[in-house]
Amino acid sequence: MSVSINIDKVVKRFGNETVINGLSLNIKPGELFTLLGPSGCGKTTLLRMIIGFNSIEDGKIEIDNKVVNDIPVNKRKMGMVFQNYAIFPHMSVADNIAFGLKVNNLSKAEINKRMEDIMKVVRIEAHKSKKPDKLSGGQQQRVALARALVIHPKVLLMDEPLSNLDAKLRIEMRNAIKAIQQQVGITTVYVTHDQEEALAISDRIAVMNGGVIQQIGKPEDIYSRPSNLFVAQFIGTSNVIKGKIETDESGGVFVRLNENYKEKMDNLSEIKKGQEVIVAVRPQEFILVEDESSIKGVIESTMFLGLNTHYFVKLDTGEKVEVIQDAEANEIMPEGTRVHLKLKSKKINLFDSATEESLIKAGG
Amino acid sequence: MKQKKSLFNLWNASSLIILGLTILFILYPLFLILNKGMFDPETGRFTLQNFYHFFDRKFYWITLRNSFEVTIVSTALAVIIGIPMAYMLRRVKIFGSKFVQILIIVSYISPPFIGAYAWIQLLGRSGVVTKFINDTFNMNFDGIYGFTGIVLVLTLQSFPLVFIYIMGALKNLDSSLIEAAESLGYSNFQRMIKIVIPLILPTIFASSLLVFMRVIADFGTPMLIGEGYRTMPVLIYQQFLSEVGGDAGFAAAIATLFIFVTISLFLLQRILSRQYSYSMSALRPMAVQQSKGIKNILSHLVVYFVTFLAILPQMVVIFTSFLETRGGQVYTGNFSLQNYQNILFNRDLSMITNTYKMGLYAIVIIVILGIFISYLTVRKRNMINSILDTFSMFPFVIPGSVLGIALVFAFSDSPLFLTGTVTIMVVAFVIRRMPYTIRSSTAIIGQIHPSIEEASISLGASEAKTFYKVVVPMMMPGVLAGAIMSWITILGELSASIILYASNTQTLSVSIYTEVIRGNFGNASAYSAILTVTSILSLLIFFKLTGKKEISL
Repeated sequence: MSVSINIDKVVKRFGNETVINGLSLNIKPGELFTLLGPSGCGKTTLLRMIIGFNSIEDGKIEIDNKVVNDIPVNKRKMGMVFQNYAIFPHMSVADNIAFGLKVNNLSKAEINKRMEDIMKVVRIEAHKSKKPDKLSGGQQQRVALARALVIHPKVLLMDEPLSNLDAKLRIEMRNAIKAIQQQVGITTVYVTHDQEEALAISDRIAVMNGGVIQQIGKPEDIYSRPSNLFVAQFIGTSNVIKGKIETDESGGVFVRLNENYKEKMDNLSEIKKGQEVIVAVRPQEFILVEDESSIKGVIESTMFLGLNTHYFVKLDTGEKVEVIQDAEANEIMPEGTRVHLKLKSKKINLFDSATEESLIKAGG
Repeated sequence: MKQKKSLFNLWNASSLIILGLTILFILYPLFLILNKGMFDPETGRFTLQNFYHFFDRKFYWITLRNSFEVTIVSTALAVIIGIPMAYMLRRVKIFGSKFVQILIIVSYISPPFIGAYAWIQLLGRSGVVTKFINDTFNMNFDGIYGFTGIVLVLTLQSFPLVFIYIMGALKNLDSSLIEAAESLGYSNFQRMIKIVIPLILPTIFASSLLVFMRVIADFGTPMLIGEGYRTMPVLIYQQFLSEVGGDAGFAAAIATLFIFVTISLFLLQRILSRQYSYSMSALRPMAVQQSKGIKNILSHLVVYFVTFLAILPQMVVIFTSFLETRGGQVYTGNFSLQNYQNILFNRDLSMITNTYKMGLYAIVIIVILGIFISYLTVRKRNMINSILDTFSMFPFVIPGSVLGIALVFAFSDSPLFLTGTVTIMVVAFVIRRMPYTIRSSTAIIGQIHPSIEEASISLGASEAKTFYKVVVPMMMPGVLAGAIMSWITILGELSASIILYASNTQTLSVSIYTEVIRGNFGNASAYSAILTVTSILSLLIFFKLTGKKEISL
């Protein structure tokens, strides 16, 4: 019953400005698919093209293999949850949820049944006769979700639905949204600029920048193997260090960080000897060593967070990096301490200096 | 952003209809004024003859100077009174401040000519106070007619507008701004000069220009209390009446001149308000404080005294309406219901019923058009709607007397012979008083997030259904608040009505005016009392509807 969404080379122009130029994307039935990117990257524009608030200048969007380009919004049967929820303030909770049912001329019995079902799913029955201004942010969110789902839409679209909630409620609601989405089994497109939220909630993520998709993949793949430097830096924290590719007689491939330190790499795709690379290292991908064959630097400041400790280290090359050490390891090192760092070669990512594209082999 | 399927949807159709009405009832009549003023009726050639005529004789051009004199002085005084009143009520704990504010608002919503009439009763030739002064001090004070009288009435009528605006601006001034300055070492006086005044300066500008426009266009006050001191609206009216024999062109030329003056002021106001405005909204507005000693006593005295002066006309007309008169003209000193008996039972009731009936027609049209115009200009920006947006502010620019003769010029002949009908009165009411409703409706649409409409559409509702099921109900509080202001000001409309009315479309305000001119003070008071009480009741409904005890304009 779930449907797929096929976006095929769509183009969006506002006046003379082309915001999205030939973007393609396939969303599988029943999955929670996230469009993630910084503000202005075109993610909301794309979402509004799917529902029809934005026109499609070229290309096509198919829902369930039927082109929807020219279907007006009110006939597309898509549920949308808005950033500000867009709850009708002059109607009670029940009237808000019933709005889409009434306008579609459903029978009274059917309306009542669907209302009861959905209010149970989103757990809002207790508040059904309240006016929206009497609800908390989380409850309004639930009403918005119920109102979108109750019309049994083919797809559910969510535009930054959690950005108006406080940090604690955000985590609670994102779990609730995930649970409800799985229970209903509806194909969902979720827009956010919050990478942590995207990692937590999504089946798959498309990272967007400048109207172009940078990478599509499962959260863990995008985090551990970003396809380019932008993704590496946008998702989580990545320290960036310069390096150079070296090979030896036996065909071994190394990345050299300085005269004394190189690290063997087994998972690189096409590389050239002497090629300049950018090494992206997550804070937890550094190892503290006593070895002279390493990267050296001085701790500039420390931040104790309980679970672990963050060290901000200035390397001898002038580059600054963030290093995370688990709390159980020794005591906190004071500022000014000289440290020696090695890299976890299986974890780090290498990018071509010029193209900033990943040099890691597929599946590596 | 939306896909345009058909050009002839609901929105384009309503844009075109409203544009058509605008052209027919506003632009075409105004065009006739310019045309008659600047073109020779026989040869059809462009001529400045009428303007030469105007500037040639002091009898005419003095009115332009007079208008500016009374307007500048009244505006300045209104600002000088309005600002400290607002500041005191926001800053000092005044006993009964809520009530004081309501009284000031009541004085603001009453038509100025009632003020003029009441002050004549007090300080006119045979006014109570005049007699008292003359008897006590054995003087020959002849009453405050002319310049002084007009300035007195219009100042007291206008300072509430400045007051209401400044109250609003001070409310939006977050006290943390003042505290920030204080923490940075600024003294009380320095904070006033460096923070408070600059932040409310745009509001002071805006409100004083509005006062300026109102005062310069006011017809009833100079007509009643001005005597020999004539202003432009009075001259236009007189020229128009005496025009019967022939010189329509001259009245039109004066009107043209007057429109140029008001349009320049209007443009100036737009430019200034665009350049100097800050968007402020206070999380923590300025708090009132309990003052001590002389400051406390002085603040109370000033506030109470000014409020008393402002509300005095309303009290006077209501009080005198219950006084017995001899022949309708001279008070006997006894109380009676004779005046009410006169106006309610001894003569035609139609002046009263006309006012409510035509007012109601006008309000229905205003509400419907207001909803559409504000929605179109905010949400459906295109060329036609931008034009509508500009024209919807036109009535602020066109003085009532000018609009009156423009409508007479346009609709005195077939095919559209409307002069003397209910229609022409309603048209005048709608044009003059619609801006209140449009402003208030536009403001409330600005508060409705577009995603509310998108939500409705995404749930399957059509645009039209979304409009009347979601948008209109959400707009209603703002629309009704504006409509009540339109309604109250319709009741007091005089300057266009006096030109357009016929015996079967005479209104309360016209009746008050004619009774005063005839010297039937008893009847005039009773009519004024009915008008005032209706306005106050409407205002109370307004407060009830908006849930506030303040009005924002």
